Amino acid sequence: MNQFIRFLARRIAFQITTFIIFLLVIFALPRVIPGNPLAVILNRIYQEARATPELVRTVEKMLMKEFGFGKPMHIQFYEFVGRLLKGDLGTSIAFYPRKVADLVIVYLPWSLGLLIPATMVSWIVGNLLGALAAYKRKTTVDNALLPVFLTLSQTPYYWLAMILLYVFAVTFRIFPLGGAYSRLMFPSLTVRFVLDMLRHYVLPFSSIVIAAIGGWAIGMRSMVIYELGADYVSYADSLGLPDSKVLRYVFRNSMLPQVTGLALNLGLMLGGSLITELVFSYPGTGYLIFRALSTLDYPMIQGTFIFLISTLLIANFIVDLIYVYIDPRVRTSYVGE
Amino acid sequence: MPQLIKDLLRIKKLDASLAIFIGIILTSVLGSMLYATKPLAIVGPAEQPPSVEFPLGTDSWGRDLLALLLAGTKNSLRIGVTAALISLTIGLVIGVTAGFKGGIIDSALMLVTDVVLVLPSILIMMLVAAYLRERNPFYVSLIIGATGWPWVARAIRSQIMSLKSREFMYLSKMAGLKDVRIIIEDLLPNMASYIAMAFVLLMSGAMIAEAGLSMIGLGVTKGVSLGIILYWAQILESVRRGMWWWFGPPGAVLVALAASLLLMSTALDEYFSPRLKGG
Repeated sequence: MNQFIRFLARRIAFQITTFIIFLLVIFALPRVIPGNPLAVILNRIYQEARATPELVRTVEKMLMKEFGFGKPMHIQFYEFVGRLLKGDLGTSIAFYPRKVADLVIVYLPWSLGLLIPATMVSWIVGNLLGALAAYKRKTTVDNALLPVFLTLSQTPYYWLAMILLYVFAVTFRIFPLGGAYSRLMFPSLTVRFVLDMLRHYVLPFSSIVIAAIGGWAIGMRSMVIYELGADYVSYADSLGLPDSKVLRYVFRNSMLPQVTGLALNLGLMLGGSLITELVFSYPGTGYLIFRALSTLDYPMIQGTFIFLISTLLIANFIVDLIYVYIDPRVRTSYVGE
Repeated sequence: MPQLIKDLLRIKKLDASLAIFIGIILTSVLGSMLYATKPLAIVGPAEQPPSVEFPLGTDSWGRDLLALLLAGTKNSLRIGVTAALISLTIGLVIGVTAGFKGGIIDSALMLVTDVVLVLPSILIMMLVAAYLRERNPFYVSLIIGATGWPWVARAIRSQIMSLKSREFMYLSKMAGLKDVRIIIEDLLPNMASYIAMAFVLLMSGAMIAEAGLSMIGLGVTKGVSLGIILYWAQILESVRRGMWWWFGPPGAVLVALAASLLLMSTALDEYFSPRLKGG
């Protein structure tokens, strides 16, 4: 048990280091890039005269205060982290005077609700299909599946999303054109609302699942083929163990790298699903980032990214735990089972 | 060497991938020289479906989408190659140094590598790009290249580690050769096939990353690329308005390019590490 705690402590220390480095990046970017990006926003607000003079002054004061320009760098960073620890991510410019944290909390669940189930389903289906292809290697099944996997693994979710939207919502009007629920509805826990929400969910969800299956299947296929060439497989075969039993061992051993792959690919999947949200006008953080980018709403950009990276690091940690749980070698050495 | 090339060309997967990949490169390079229409010029009525005059139709500004596609493919390839070279260089330098030197240098470099590996590259790219007002193709390549290297560094490091214990290394060391010379003359040639595969994968990853950055509005600020065409198609609602000729072709070219590169690396991988062929 002691070793297990040490392992966890090491992982947590690593995650915290990573998070601090990320905060340094977030903090440094607006300060080191020439042509002061904040001056650009203020200029833009002046020029477009979208705001009254008082509002411009308020926004300016707010930005100067939150970014703390003019003070020494280490004090700026200290204040930045201090505000963060209090849960203050600053004030949005585009949605002024709303707080960034309040906005992200509203949008984040939609993103996670799309990403987490899609990741899980694609991981399971992809691994099963990949193992099937490996088992049937050198047959028509594998020869037909492999090119499909290869193509899907290189298909951006959002492009598949555009195609599915065009086919199933524009050409055949089976599914709605976008959004997370019908405009006239108000989020509530009624059967009618849930059904409506599910109807809006099908296309974004399928785009991510279908495109993501390819990568998992390719990884699993080569892992299983590799394992099938291992000595223990020939040994088990020579002992006359039934195929199904040998396959179960092979499958379990091949799964482990796929769990690590899950941790490594979460960021990529998140990025892809954020852009997919745009295609469907899905009200998630992808939409929030897009809005923030087009209005140069830097506090919002910072805040959203801090939220997303924290979520990813937590997810990473959970995958670490799962890994310890399922890998018998790690489990016995750490937990002493 | 010629024997190696002959052997390689006998692999069907490799032939197929090369045919697709070189076919697209030639089409985009020759096509943009031969096709008279300038990519960003407004040449006809807006939002026309494909016709004899405009083989891939026109967009909302009345620009010829075939001309845009040819130029965009060329630029996406250029960004892909540049970004892949940047990632490969960083990955090689870090991987070789860590593997060769070992000890505390190795631990420090691998910590950096792990941190970059865990930070989601696409989000970091977005964050950096968001602060740049002017984004030329080189900046975009640099942003993509600077985040894509960790897995290369890790893989190169483990290759070096295993090469280090081979006999010829002891001989070179006993002969008193300098580290740099050992690395260049003994180690790198032994990893040539791996470096080639890494480059191919980095390139497909970089082209897909370029498209992703563009889609969220952070691609090149001047000029056109496959991602930029998709971005225009997205913000002008081409999907909901049924203009398949706008969002379809650039995505299809991107997928074909990236998939052919992946197939290429798979074929090379199977050739150089036979256990994967699964006998």
